[in-house]
Amino acid sequence: MSANPFHIDPERARAEVEAFRRKVEAGMETLKNVGPIELGTTPREAVYTEDKLTLWHFKGTKKPSAKVPLLICYALVNTPWMVDLQEDRSMVRNLLEQGEDVYLIDWGYPDGADRWLTLEDYIDGYLDRCVDVIRRRHALDAINLLGICQGGVFSLCYAALHGDKVKNLITMVTPVDFHTPDNMLSHWARNVDIDLFVDTIGNVPADLMNFAYLTLKPLRLNQQKYVAMVDILDNPKEVENFLRMEKWIFDSPDQAGETFRQFTRDFFQKNLLIQGKATVGGKVIDLGTITQPVLNIYAEQDHLVPPAASLPLKDVVGSKDYTVLPFPGGHIGIYVSGRAQKLVPPAIHEWLAAR
Amino acid sequence: MADKPNDFIDQYQAFVRQGVEAWAKQFDPGAAPTEAPSADIVGRLFAGLGGFGDWMRAFTSGESPATPFAHGTPPFGQPGPAEGFAPFGYGPPPGAAPGSDGFDEWARVARETLSMPALGLTREQQEEQQALLRAWIDYAQQYARYQALLQRVQDRAGDTMRSQGMPTDADSLRTVYDRWVNFSEESYAQAAMSEEFREVYAALVNAQMHLKVLQQRQVERFAVQAGLPTRREVDSLGERLQAVRRELRQMQGLATEVEVLRAEVAALRGAPGAAERRSGASRKDVGAKAAPARAAVKKVSARKVATKSGATKKSAVAKNAAGKKAAAKKVAPKKVARGKTR
Repeated sequence: MSANPFHIDPERARAEVEAFRRKVEAGMETLKNVGPIELGTTPREAVYTEDKLTLWHFKGTKKPSAKVPLLICYALVNTPWMVDLQEDRSMVRNLLEQGEDVYLIDWGYPDGADRWLTLEDYIDGYLDRCVDVIRRRHALDAINLLGICQGGVFSLCYAALHGDKVKNLITMVTPVDFHTPDNMLSHWARNVDIDLFVDTIGNVPADLMNFAYLTLKPLRLNQQKYVAMVDILDNPKEVENFLRMEKWIFDSPDQAGETFRQFTRDFFQKNLLIQGKATVGGKVIDLGTITQPVLNIYAEQDHLVPPAASLPLKDVVGSKDYTVLPFPGGHIGIYVSGRAQKLVPPAIHEWLAAR
Repeated sequence: MADKPNDFIDQYQAFVRQGVEAWAKQFDPGAAPTEAPSADIVGRLFAGLGGFGDWMRAFTSGESPATPFAHGTPPFGQPGPAEGFAPFGYGPPPGAAPGSDGFDEWARVARETLSMPALGLTREQQEEQQALLRAWIDYAQQYARYQALLQRVQDRAGDTMRSQGMPTDADSLRTVYDRWVNFSEESYAQAAMSEEFREVYAALVNAQMHLKVLQQRQVERFAVQAGLPTRREVDSLGERLQAVRRELRQMQGLATEVEVLRAEVAALRGAPGAAERRSGASRKDVGAKAAPARAAVKKVSARKVATKSGATKKSAVAKNAAGKKAAAKKVAPKKVARGKTR
């Protein structure tokens, strides 16, 4: 008796394998004809650069109706083009259409020269100077800040340090409590000797980061995804979308060593942010000092930043004007899914317009 | 099996000799180039499909696929410690893969021998090389623990799948495959959140880093001898440079504060005859006068930074922004800026 518990007709199985093989063969033609894959389709202008960083200002088809610009602060892991992946999947484009005036920080690709950049350099340095540039361009005391994932953590720290420069704060898929029982990344990082790790490898290579992310769901992300790709190989448009996402996933920046050390130790391992004990440049981050309106958007099926990691923001933030917005999707779907295009930018715009 | 000290010493000498040869080969221009990279699209596609193919073969023969979680993903971006592989070619005897009894026995003897004190002129180098070998043994064993854990995860998934019995909707291999992936991922997620996984995972990462840092020391030693700059030197320079940049920013911030305070003091004192005009002025008025001074200082400061950093490529952008900024300041009074703008 074989260990096979299923009774699939052998002839049918053979035919299925043969059909699969033919699909792969035919699909090679589609792959050969795929042109270069580009991300970030919305017209934009660089308004400030420093080291590897570029501050982009997006150009919409109409003049923004919002008087206060919105700065998007993305995470250091991956490039920020997830928010402007392609024409019909672009949070940026949809925010512009709503009337927002959108800026984006592109942190660039750190190299060995950036190995010693700290959280202070990123948050109290680069981010602060980008905010100042926008404030000066618009002659405003404060602007709206939208932080995504790790960029959301940066934005929270920034708002706690420079509350006078932030009019409204939006966090998207942002962890606040790093020790929830369903946080796999944090669980794995807990016992790693992070000093030995960073002292040894310096900047953390993007491939290493991606490897860790792939092992969160190893079979789905390393195997099943590519098996499913065969189903779309006869559709050039779908293949292009698939490959665009692949490019975004794997075209990732390395992580500046010192920042990685601090972030992993203080946030993932010690969970200091929610305890009010995290520091940036020696200054304590007290989320209770954030009194401006806060919109916290989280993804209900997020496997990287589980909802339970985001939701405690309500209990620690000092704002009396706190709104939480659940999105029915995952960590990436919140930017690129068709549903996200319809739901998220209008919700952000309406929330801002009311304040 | 190297179970006698003399055997080990012979092997150790061979290891050192091979190490020097391996190092020297790095500078051999006649050495064969590394394999050309394959097209990423096709490579990744077939890596995934390879796993599916393995699964189908195993499934149709009624076997459980072996460690599918590791398929195509070596640990932390590097090849795993395969059988017979070790730094500089020294390793366990044939047939003794990490995780096997043969390997463990070899590791025990090797560890004992590698703990013997080194002597003579090259004792420091010998100690480093002994430490390197011990670190490799540790890494190989931690890697084997990790693989064993993954295999248990897969076995559990297989058991669960078999215990579910014949599903009514499993009418194709693909359906069964997707179901198998579901079971496997569930089993993996459960294991991945366990205390054991956390410990094994960290031990593997720590062991790999320990091995790597010792390898780096070897390379550093060679580089120093060859008069080449080393990673450590470059890191030291980078660290000092970044500290200076940070200090400079801090001083510029303080200078800005001083300028603001000076402007406020000047406004408070006023020009000759301004005392009378100021007598009825509120604090708010003073602040309003001070604000442009603050803005002016910040603009100057920003230009200074741009110039000092020497980044010519950004100068056009910065100038453009500064121009717009100045224009915006002129037309937008402070009151408007602070008002409700939405």
